[in-house]
Amino acid sequence: MTTATEPLDLFSDEVLRDPYPAYAQLREAGDAVWLPEHEVWALPHYRNVFAALHAPDVFSSASGVGITERLNRAQSGSTLTSDPPYHDQVRSLVSRHLTPRALREINAEVEAWADRLVLGLLERDSFEVVRDFAQAFPLSLVPDLLGWPIDEGREILLDWASAGFNAFGPANERTLAGLHHFGDMHEFLHRMSQPGNLRAGSWGAELVEEAQRGEIGAELVPALLGDFLFPSMDTSVSALSSLVDLLGRHPEQYALLRAEPDLVPAAFNEIVRFEAPLRGFTRLALAGHRLGDHVVSEGDRVYLLFASANRDASFWSSDPDRFDITRPDVSKHLGFGHGIHGCVGQALSRLEGHSLLKAMIRHVEHIEVGPATWRLHNTIRGIESMTATFEGSRRA
Amino acid sequence: MSAFELDSSRCEGHGVCVDAAPHLLALDDEGELVLLAETFGDADADAAADAALVCPVAALRVVGPGEASS
Repeated sequence: MTTATEPLDLFSDEVLRDPYPAYAQLREAGDAVWLPEHEVWALPHYRNVFAALHAPDVFSSASGVGITERLNRAQSGSTLTSDPPYHDQVRSLVSRHLTPRALREINAEVEAWADRLVLGLLERDSFEVVRDFAQAFPLSLVPDLLGWPIDEGREILLDWASAGFNAFGPANERTLAGLHHFGDMHEFLHRMSQPGNLRAGSWGAELVEEAQRGEIGAELVPALLGDFLFPSMDTSVSALSSLVDLLGRHPEQYALLRAEPDLVPAAFNEIVRFEAPLRGFTRLALAGHRLGDHVVSEGDRVYLLFASANRDASFWSSDPDRFDITRPDVSKHLGFGHGIHGCVGQALSRLEGHSLLKAMIRHVEHIEVGPATWRLHNTIRGIESMTATFEGSRRA
Repeated sequence: MSAFELDSSRCEGHGVCVDAAPHLLALDDEGELVLLAETFGDADADAAADAALVCPVAALRVVGPGEASS
């Protein structure tokens, strides 16, 4: 069987909590699986997700990357929801600050920050992983760099990011529950786009000044501020929560990492492979195109399941359902997407993850984790809450 | 002989390709990607293909003998 219709609902509570059996079922069903309820073709295999990501002239992002057409229309104009050449121009306005080279100037600061966070958590009997560990970094770092006013709250950013990401899914109750945030978010980003509201010298103030000088369109500024802010929230929180979860549940892997600190980059890749923070995005086919045994027709929407590709046994050289920080081909994971729309913040995400891992292996001998509950979110795969304890040499 | 074709406007210097083919590619002190050889032979073809495949932002590709850049 090459193509199939699959009655399973990828957005049911049960599947959102543990999507991997459903992904395995999809991969078994065919190269492309029609989801009648959502009118999209799910692509569950690595080879086809990769191929679609690398054919942006056929698989377009300009009409949105979510499941629901009318919600897609509301999210147009960002880096994520555009095609070249416009995409390349807009992406460069964001990526110029986020390349590994550009981030060098904050490396030392981020590493010191990670060290303080880990040392602080070592002093406590236990902590809440999502709030005290995973949210701490994204909530302070990116808004600061963007020039966030000191007196503006930051927790609301998490709610806005969550609502925005839910709206890439179907128009179900989770999406509808967040729609009321969109007006506030829109109003806020427009207010921040006015001269004088973001801290002078910040990334955000730079964009506002460029718009004033006519170098970029003023209408771009709110979308670009959104491009910086929201993708850095939920996704990073998910990756950093999973970091504690996976190393806590695999003490032999954590011991190996402590013995071989050179494995830090591979370990972070494996975390993002094993629990891809973003389940998937869609593309619209602008022309007919063959993917494996399936021929996509012009006008079809395809749902690229990054999280399924990362667990596809027909691609990975060893059991993809095993967490293994020594996996030789781990850098091929699609947890940051891939291709021209590959996560623009991946160097910052790696800087956060590597800094925290390095601080942990310096100070934490053993990680104890409690049971995790998972978020019921259309787009983000992440832990809702989990308690952990860091045990260091001073406690041993 | 084959060669790399680098789209320097897309390259963000993530360095994932360097890990795949450290004898063909490097990051300089400024964090810019450097092609260590203009062309390479069959012995390096697999490593080169891997380096192009893992580029997270599709900035690198391999062109075969006689292929014009596009």
